[in-house]
Amino acid sequence: MLRLSLDLLANGLIYGCFYALMAVGLAMIFGVLKIVNFAHGEFFMIGAYTYVLVALNLSVSPWLALPCAALAGAALGWIVERLLMRPLYAGYASWGFMKDEYAVVVTFGLSLLLVNLVDKAVGPYSYKGPSLIEASRFALGPVMLTGQKAIATVVAVLIMIALALFLKKSVWGKQIQAVAQNRLGASLAGIDATRTTSLIFAVSGMLAALSGALLAPLINPSPDVGSFPAIKSYVIVVLGGMGSVWGAMIAALIVGVSEAFFSVYGSYDYRDAFGLAILVLVLLLRPQGLLGQKGRDV
Amino acid sequence: MKIRQLATGLACMGATLTLLPAFAADPILIGASITQSPPGSVVQGTQVKDGMEILKDMVNAKGGVLGREIKVVYEDNQGIPEKGRAATEKLISKDKVVALAGGHQSSVCLAEIEVAHRYKVPYVNTNCWSDDVRKRGYPEVFNTSPYNTLVSSSMATTLATMGVKRVVAFAENTDYGIGQAKLTGELLKQKAPNIEYKYETLDRASKDFTAAILPLRANPPDVIVMSMLPPAAYIVMNQVYEQGLAPSAKTILYDGGGLADYPDFWQNVKEGGKYLLSFALYHPAMPQTQLAKDVAAEYKKRTGNDVNRLVLQAADSLHLVVEGIRQAKSAEPEKVATAMRTMKFDSLRGVSNFSTQAGYGYQQWLDIPFVNYELTAEKQPVGQTVLIQAPGQKFDPAKIVRPK
Repeated sequence: MLRLSLDLLANGLIYGCFYALMAVGLAMIFGVLKIVNFAHGEFFMIGAYTYVLVALNLSVSPWLALPCAALAGAALGWIVERLLMRPLYAGYASWGFMKDEYAVVVTFGLSLLLVNLVDKAVGPYSYKGPSLIEASRFALGPVMLTGQKAIATVVAVLIMIALALFLKKSVWGKQIQAVAQNRLGASLAGIDATRTTSLIFAVSGMLAALSGALLAPLINPSPDVGSFPAIKSYVIVVLGGMGSVWGAMIAALIVGVSEAFFSVYGSYDYRDAFGLAILVLVLLLRPQGLLGQKGRDV
Repeated sequence: MKIRQLATGLACMGATLTLLPAFAADPILIGASITQSPPGSVVQGTQVKDGMEILKDMVNAKGGVLGREIKVVYEDNQGIPEKGRAATEKLISKDKVVALAGGHQSSVCLAEIEVAHRYKVPYVNTNCWSDDVRKRGYPEVFNTSPYNTLVSSSMATTLATMGVKRVVAFAENTDYGIGQAKLTGELLKQKAPNIEYKYETLDRASKDFTAAILPLRANPPDVIVMSMLPPAAYIVMNQVYEQGLAPSAKTILYDGGGLADYPDFWQNVKEGGKYLLSFALYHPAMPQTQLAKDVAAEYKKRTGNDVNRLVLQAADSLHLVVEGIRQAKSAEPEKVATAMRTMKFDSLRGVSNFSTQAGYGYQQWLDIPFVNYELTAEKQPVGQTVLIQAPGQKFDPAKIVRPK
């Protein structure tokens, strides 16, 4: 019983870390633009595919394929912001009244486009990415792990620590916080809000792509691989408090662990519903989400 | 000089045109509603299309049927039943297809046969395993596909022969997966009531199944049955391996979907695929017609992959429609259906005819050949696997190799 509980806790925390990488980017975009990016799962998918294809087809070390995936995700995020998101705030005054509709339609359309594009260009078959380290499987106390799962979790935690430091300490991080708090105010203070928004999309794309790349050896990516983590991320972002990065991190771990326990001690069939039940419960008791008070400052 | 070149060119063109079959009338249209984009199984859809295209080209190269070229009109149903229904409606009412073939996902087939039945257009089920497709008793639906009762019955017999005590099945949340897992349990109760059996339904869209696997570690079953399709099946296999559960000296992993057939199998499972015991509908050691060999050779030429059961099933479905048209001497849907119902059909996988018994056997080719084999080495091609049950033979558990 204790061994099973420890297993579930470890597994829940591990997947919670990956959910967090995904959800944080989504929360940052919402924090700044107040829109939901429905193509966020496809940033994850692009990262997973870049990692797998670079490592397998170019026979490159997986450790080099990882930054390639991060670059691909960042580039995609930057392009999406430049080409599709800029009409939301860059001088298209008449667009203001239909901002939400535009964002939903354009990101949803982009999601379908990217899934079908990869399906046609790469093919429908799934690919298992190469592991970052050779160790096949080992026991860590009562917990059985693969080398990939262990190292990917460590990398994911390091990325989140780096992100936290970036947001708190760097000039760019402070600019992001300022734009999230008050876009006009930040502009009046001399911050280039447009450039900062580009940066947010690039960072968001990079985080999702890294999550996809780290999970690629574990979840055998196929073109529609992004839909599953994306749905989790939407739940996590709302649970954490719309736009709150710290809320998203905490909520991701809560969702990961509670789903693992509910699957075994409750019902496996309803584990996804359980995540939604927690969401409803939290929203009833605390409508702004877990860290909703600080939700709008990234 | 130029005049000589021109004359030579014209002569070559003339010779080419003479060699190509000439078709006097409009092509005969046959509809295929398959999955060509997510979220359905695009892998299956691709293989079905490959098989049908190869057969179509072979038929047309020999002059078509009734002197007319055949053409397959494809519609993408994305593996979604409502889209399959709409695609079938369009193929019948707008494209005026003579018959439909290629259906490969049970939930979609169940929606599509309603439309085919309403219009009385023949519908050849290529790969929908759910017994419910047959149980509706529609005279327009012809089943050359494997069916859950066949697979579950064979698997239950295998489990009983192995003398195991405890079996757990992982079933994907589809008509195929749940249907197969339930039926295996019911048949096990009859064949070996002492075997403890339970199944767990898994979401095929999920990427983490650890929570379903972990509770088994404390008391591993003798066999884990997989009623799942890729890519979810690959992930489950990897996670079962990662947890040290199976394959092991104690626990055998038994696949009921022919996973090793898929071209991406070894790329996706690696060491987790070794020692997999598999119920399979194709093995090179099985008797094959010349047409099957020709399709296999052409498939290898076009894709570089070895042929598998789904490609052959797809080619077989179109072959049945073509033979139906030939025997009916007509491209009228109702006449074609009547011919298909009564004719003896030389399929790619043996001689077949359709049963008239009610229930799962309705208009079903009942005696579909199958084998059981074990993968004993990594990256092992199906042709080199160890046959635990050769075609037409009994299952021999003594041949099973277990990890030390």
